[in-house]
Amino acid sequence: MSETTATAAPSFLAHHFESLEKQTHAARLGMWLFLATEILLFTALFTAYAVYRYLFTPDFQAASRDLATWIGLVNTLVLVTSSFTVAMGYGRAVRGDGKGTRALFLVSVLLALVFLGFKVVEYSHHFHAGELPGRLYVSTRLQGPGAPIFYALYFLITGLHAVHVVVGMTILAVIGLRAGRGAYTREYHVPVELAGLYWHLVDLIWIFVFPLVYLI
Amino acid sequence: MAGPGAVAPVEHAHASHVARYAIVWIALLALTFATWGLSRFHIPGGWGVAVALGIATAKSALVALFFMHLWDQRGANRLVLVTSLVFVALLVGLTLSDSATRFPLSNPPGSEGALPVGPTDYGGPPPVPPRDRGLTP
Amino acid sequence: MNPSPASELQGYNPRNYLNSPATGLKSWLTTLDHKRIGVMFLVAVTVAFALGGFFALLIRLELLTPGPTIVDAMTYNRLFTLHGVVMIFLFMIPAIPSAFGNFLLPIMLGAKDVAFPRLNLLSFYLYLAGASVALYGMVHGGADTGWTFYTPYSTTTTTKVVPILLGAFILGFSSILTGLNFIVTTHTMRAPGMTWNRLPLFVWSIYATAVIQILATPVLGMTLLLVAIEHAFGWGIFDPARGGDPVLFQHFFWFYSHPAVYIMILPAMAVMSEVVCAFSRKNIFGYKAVAYSSLGIAFVGFFTWGHHLFTSGQSTLTGGVFGVLSMFVGIFTAIKVFNWTATLYRGSISFTTPFAYFVGFLFFLVFGGMTGIALATMSLDVHWHDTYFVVAHFHFIMVGATLMAFLAALHYWLPKMTGRMYPENWGLVAAVMVVLGFNFTFIPQFLLGNEGMPRRYFSYPERFWALNVASTAGASVLAIGLVIVLVYLLVAIRRGAVAGANPWGSRGFEWDTPSPPPPENYETTPVYTHGPHEYHEDPEPPRHAAPEPKHV
Repeated sequence: MSETTATAAPSFLAHHFESLEKQTHAARLGMWLFLATEILLFTALFTAYAVYRYLFTPDFQAASRDLATWIGLVNTLVLVTSSFTVAMGYGRAVRGDGKGTRALFLVSVLLALVFLGFKVVEYSHHFHAGELPGRLYVSTRLQGPGAPIFYALYFLITGLHAVHVVVGMTILAVIGLRAGRGAYTREYHVPVELAGLYWHLVDLIWIFVFPLVYLI
Repeated sequence: MAGPGAVAPVEHAHASHVARYAIVWIALLALTFATWGLSRFHIPGGWGVAVALGIATAKSALVALFFMHLWDQRGANRLVLVTSLVFVALLVGLTLSDSATRFPLSNPPGSEGALPVGPTDYGGPPPVPPRDRGLTP
Repeated sequence: MNPSPASELQGYNPRNYLNSPATGLKSWLTTLDHKRIGVMFLVAVTVAFALGGFFALLIRLELLTPGPTIVDAMTYNRLFTLHGVVMIFLFMIPAIPSAFGNFLLPIMLGAKDVAFPRLNLLSFYLYLAGASVALYGMVHGGADTGWTFYTPYSTTTTTKVVPILLGAFILGFSSILTGLNFIVTTHTMRAPGMTWNRLPLFVWSIYATAVIQILATPVLGMTLLLVAIEHAFGWGIFDPARGGDPVLFQHFFWFYSHPAVYIMILPAMAVMSEVVCAFSRKNIFGYKAVAYSSLGIAFVGFFTWGHHLFTSGQSTLTGGVFGVLSMFVGIFTAIKVFNWTATLYRGSISFTTPFAYFVGFLFFLVFGGMTGIALATMSLDVHWHDTYFVVAHFHFIMVGATLMAFLAALHYWLPKMTGRMYPENWGLVAAVMVVLGFNFTFIPQFLLGNEGMPRRYFSYPERFWALNVASTAGASVLAIGLVIVLVYLLVAIRRGAVAGANPWGSRGFEWDTPSPPPPENYETTPVYTHGPHEYHEDPEPPRHAAPEPKHV
């Protein structure tokens, strides 16, 4: 019934699961449920963004044009590529090549660092220009009421996303290093898959953030 | 939701998956450039947003189906994602439609469909009271 | 590897989860056994309930006279805020799922544990962490915003609202992890033969609850975080002076908090579906209808949040839409009520304490639910919004229905969890006091609300005096009844009669284990050939047919 072979180390199978196959399915389902909660977490912010963009369209469009679109574009390309390297890293794990996984996951972590580096550049520009959220907004470029709200949502959305990037990087690093030390096999590499799922979600969220915040 | 005796699809030979990942990656890069390029045309009205969202949806579908392996996994995981998206649409849609259909006084001053910004909104000086135009007896 | 011998099933199981694999505080604090975690949650939510009840008594004491009685207005505001926060986030949301759900779900599925035992333990510690942070805020004066934290007051008040917001935020994660665990457990850990159509109805409702916990709680988390950030840093998106929309907060808050009330009621319905079958000795009437109506409530409950915003300034169109959608939820509850009642018909009813609470539950659910439908009518709500009518409505559901179900669960499953029986006479006496006390507390509040007494007011005109006194009198009776329950349960846990594996003769699956259950629940994995609560003439042979399936 199960495709696992006699070489599946018994230590992978937890005592309360009937089979490794069930355990794997449970792990994936659990991860997807967790990803669903992350999606709903960002949804509140996206809803606020949608509402205020509707209410203050000219201010939001002006503020969006003020952002450095090229950084947003580069960051999107970087993040999408990091998703690709993570997927490839999982492909290596399926073949039992832990060192390959480690290498590719570490490349992904480096790409994530590039992403964060650009975000630091953007944020410091906003600080210097006084383009800050809410009552901290002191810029004189845009005077309408929508501008402080735009920046409040900008920092909230990209900030929360950046927190998730940091968490994702940490997970990738830890799992990647473990994979390099031979912790996973062809038969059991679920943690690699779960780490990848989390990272792909981080990418998914940015796929929506980029056009909605930088482009429209 | 398979019963307890069902077997998950066996992990196939994965040579094809590498090519799959690469193709998806190229497509994602291309779609990223596309959405950026189209935005420079400033498509009017809601269509610009619709195009941007459409491309974003396509990109995320590619990531979800192929990088996240929903293409070849069980229904339960797909159901979780689809269900969460339904509720995303619900929250965004109903809340936005509320703001769009309100009585003008209920929306923040200066916003779409609301009253125009007055001198006292956002901390300006108080207005001078209107002069009595002799309407009172 | 053999089924438990019959003698073991009659007496007190000597090797049970309470004393195996180890005893001592450390073994409990690091346990991965879902039963122990369930018991720890039970203790924690009971303490929380006592705290919330204490605040309630102070509120009712204050309302004994029209003017100030024991506190001033500012303190009163904090009292009702903390009463709401503690009762909802520390008791109502976690009580039945995290205590009874944790204990029973794997046993009812024929499993050894939940899918993620370590996440389960984490959910308990997150509960404690969230409770501690909120408690810190309470000790430093608490908040005075009401448990609903409406902006812009919550973003500008000088009271300690931020720790309470953060405490609730952390508690949300506890709720999410519990829900996640339950969904995965139900999908992946059912024993052989346990198809979806043979699941105990308790599992169906807990599963539906878990779906709501997953989808709704993150939105609350984000919303509370936004208020905390705006309060602390001024990053306002709800501040009307800066172009913000305070009603947007209400949309976000109620997007969670309306489904949250279904998180509170569905587990109560879960308990009642079990109790009604056990004490009518009859299988449920319309299993599929009851099972799917749980999912129906969970789903449709998400479409109705705007009925809390009828008078807040949302558009009339939106109000109308939400009003209509709110009506649909009543359909699923009605299905359950009819089916439970039909289960009683021609059943062999034993009027035990759990059954007494079921009867109370049924009446209070019907009246609470009907007043809910009335409130969902926008034109009526304009008159009743923010009055005691609303307060009475939700207390009818939360106390009248959910608390009764919690008490029923305590009595029904005490023998299973502790191996000992409570004194039935005291049980019935206390149940009568609780039901009567409840009526005297909250029926006057319907009348008060209809006559216009606003909620959250610490003083009122003299014409409301008599009804307020009646309400406080009822609350005292209710409190005494609950104290009686607590006392005899504690005594029973220590010195009650030995219950045996199945003192009720119930055909629910959890009764197939010894009392208290062994740590692994089942020595051999059960194989199910039919659903629960099948009360036929000839008893079923033991279901532990096959030896342990081989692991690969």
